Amino acid sequence: MDRRSFIHAGGLAAGAALLTRGLAHAQERPEHAAGQPAGARIAGAGNQPAVVTPNGSTLPWRVVDGVKVGHLIAEPIQHEFAPGLKTEAWGYNGSTPGPTIEAVEGDRLRIYVTNRLPEPTSVHWHGLVLPNGMDGVSGLNQRPIPPGETYVYEFVVRYPGTYMYHSHFDEMTQIALGGVGMFIVHPKKPRGPRVDRDFVLMTHEWKINAGARRPDPNAMSDFNVLTFNGKAFPATAPLVVGRGERARIRLGNLGPMDHHPIHLHGLSFQVTATDGGYVPASAQYPETTVLVPVGSTRVIEFVPEEPGDWAVHCHMTHHVMMQMGHGLPNMVGADTRTLDRRMSRVMPGYMTMGTTGMGGMGEMPMPIPPNSLPMKGGDGPFSYIDMGGMFTVLKVREEPGKADPNGWYTHPAGTVAGPAAAEKMRADGIDPSARK
Amino acid sequence: MRIDPWRARLLAAGLSLSAAAGCAAPSAASDLGRIRELSHLDLPSSTAAEEVEPAATSDARPLLSRPLTADAAVRVALLNNRELRAALREIGVARGHLVQAGVLPNPELEVQVTPRQGTLEHTRVELGVEFDLTSAILAPLGERAARADHEAARYRAAGAVVELGYSVRAAFYAAQATQQRLAIANRALDAFTAARDAARALFEAGNVPELDVATQEAGYEAARVAVAGIELGLLDRREQLQRLLGLSGAETSWRIADEIPRPPEKLAMPPRPEARALSASLELAELRSRLEAAAGRAGLARTAGWLPDLSVGVRGEREDEVWQVGAGLRLTLPLFDRKQGATMAHAAEFDSLLERYHGRAIDVRSAVRAAQNRLASAHARVLHHQRVLVPARTRVLEQTLLQYNAMQVGVFELLQARREQLDAELAQVDALRDYWTSRAAFDAILAGRRVEVMGTIAPAPMSGAAESGGGH
Ligand SMILES: [Cu+2]
Repeated sequence: MDRRSFIHAGGLAAGAALLTRGLAHAQERPEHAAGQPAGARIAGAGNQPAVVTPNGSTLPWRVVDGVKVGHLIAEPIQHEFAPGLKTEAWGYNGSTPGPTIEAVEGDRLRIYVTNRLPEPTSVHWHGLVLPNGMDGVSGLNQRPIPPGETYVYEFVVRYPGTYMYHSHFDEMTQIALGGVGMFIVHPKKPRGPRVDRDFVLMTHEWKINAGARRPDPNAMSDFNVLTFNGKAFPATAPLVVGRGERARIRLGNLGPMDHHPIHLHGLSFQVTATDGGYVPASAQYPETTVLVPVGSTRVIEFVPEEPGDWAVHCHMTHHVMMQMGHGLPNMVGADTRTLDRRMSRVMPGYMTMGTTGMGGMGEMPMPIPPNSLPMKGGDGPFSYIDMGGMFTVLKVREEPGKADPNGWYTHPAGTVAGPAAAEKMRADGIDPSARK
Repeated sequence: MRIDPWRARLLAAGLSLSAAAGCAAPSAASDLGRIRELSHLDLPSSTAAEEVEPAATSDARPLLSRPLTADAAVRVALLNNRELRAALREIGVARGHLVQAGVLPNPELEVQVTPRQGTLEHTRVELGVEFDLTSAILAPLGERAARADHEAARYRAAGAVVELGYSVRAAFYAAQATQQRLAIANRALDAFTAARDAARALFEAGNVPELDVATQEAGYEAARVAVAGIELGLLDRREQLQRLLGLSGAETSWRIADEIPRPPEKLAMPPRPEARALSASLELAELRSRLEAAAGRAGLARTAGWLPDLSVGVRGEREDEVWQVGAGLRLTLPLFDRKQGATMAHAAEFDSLLERYHGRAIDVRSAVRAAQNRLASAHARVLHHQRVLVPARTRVLEQTLLQYNAMQVGVFELLQARREQLDAELAQVDALRDYWTSRAAFDAILAGRRVEVMGTIAPAPMSGAAESGGGH
């Protein structure tokens, strides 16, 4: 290493350390800030807004002789999915997913990758077209990066699009523990209508037994923690957009096994791109749910008409549950009076659960294993929201720049469903006690 | 046989008078005192009562009115156990032989009267007294052998007392442990019942197939059979104890104190237990006495062999109012029968006893080591159960309850954890029983008696009766 690159590397390391500290600080804050519109930050030509990674960050560049130089550190991290559930994960630069890499079509990128994991690693730039030796598959395209060493990748991003990056050594373990991130390349010349908001949401799935601290990379099913950008509801930052604004959400899935049908409420959207490129306007079709397959990205765009707080979630019902046990017997509808009498003698702390359904489970004040969030959801403006995991809120506001991302929508009078008045039911010919 | 007290006193007075030449003959009370001293057990005086009563002594009644402890059970047995009373009365046989051995031979008196007739002018009276000198000379030797035999009988009886104490303790702990096991097994049965009820409720709701109900019902029924087996075991152990305590009829309704006690944290072992067991050993002491008796009998035979049969006599004759007196001596010459055979037989008996004595000493040393090993192991096991195993199983149960609350596991897994925790408690009770039985055996051997240790049978756990949970 010559003197110049030594100084260079030293400066980068210090920058990365600062970045890591800043991130850790950001993660400690209970309030959501990352989902805020980025406002002034512009990423490329044509006034394209920079991407916002709710709960996450963007990789900083330093430009050296026209080359964008960045530094990824693969390392073990302490990660919190939501208050009450911390884990020992593997991520990049202190987080999982790692910082979103954001570049513009035609940029030359030089990305240093330092391996602080206990085993070798490498980084694969998922979906990008680049020289074969930069593709990052351990053994096939390069030697794996030994622990403690730094390798450098350098390539020109030739095609705009939504991509991802992830470990390509011991993928089963390193991806399952969190070694993933998003990679956005803006076009030099914007295509299609300009968007006002550009969000990145990366889905992931984890298996963490209630009371354990490390994700189980051996899991092949029964994933019990599902996340957007590494966070489970209620820790997922909301997406704030203005009514009538054009918004884009880039969805990426590097979870180990499952596809996710991501569903947005209150609007319909167009699938405008995949990781293969842009969908021609003539081929776009409206959807309210987009399936994001494992190892793929999908980009959707929409213009919300209705202000309010709108649910955004995976439509697989188990993917909006936190640490739901999958081996317990179905108690719904069981008459357990005899059992309850018996159990009061056998296990004084016992309480029958689930006989009338499981909706109230998350609110029960019963003692549970430490570091677990079984069946937990979060507080809503009307009552407890009994959904967790891959769930977040799209906040459509008249004045998004002034909106409090933690505040709830104020409904105009008479626009919220409520108890039906008996008089009105009679007038409308509704008899709730009637049997057909 | 009944001897009325007046006759008994007369008899005793007569015997002691006639034995005045030798040492004083021992009494039943002195035998009892000696056995108390040897066994370190407080033998009630009533065990040496002159009369044999068909009914048990009423002294045990207050002990039986309270919940029975191991110590109280031993006291009842010492009062009531007929085998023990019989063994104590058997000392009377040796005591009788001892008294007999010290008795002097009776003089022989001969009277001959020839009335006046024919040529005889006066009535002639001849008087002769003859005394067996040899027997009188040999009597103290015979008494010494009999005294050793009597001492051997006392040791034997003291051994029986110590053994009874151990047997009663072992039987008591077995009954107490089984009673505690039954209580735990009934709690496990509650858990089986709950699992069955849960399966029934889930089946009624249409949530599980009939297979799950059948599985849980089969588990419950198997557990009932297991509990019934423990119930019979408890009855059996009570009866074993009844026999040892010599109880029947109205006296069989005693209750056992609730729980088998915990052992001390630190196991106190006496220093040099082998030496202590050897010096305390009642069977070695008995063998020593029997050796002494055999030596005495050999000496007696040898002495009798060279001693000629000797008797002295005085003869008198009266004729015509005039007494003529003369003395005589009679002896046999020990030329051929010098009791060689009897001497050889007694010598061989002595040698054989000596071999046995050395062998027994080895056995006693080994037995005390074995008892010590068993005690130390049982103590360590009890503490391990108490400090580690049962708390670990309890933690499993607590954590399973948390997992149940978190809806990670179902009611069947929770109940399984409960049953496994109760199994750990069952195993702890068995370990406690092992400890106290081993303690009693070790104490018995230090008190002078090797005992046969009744090993506990490893019981089948209750938790295995139903493996399958409902739902999958
Ligand atoms: Cu999903």
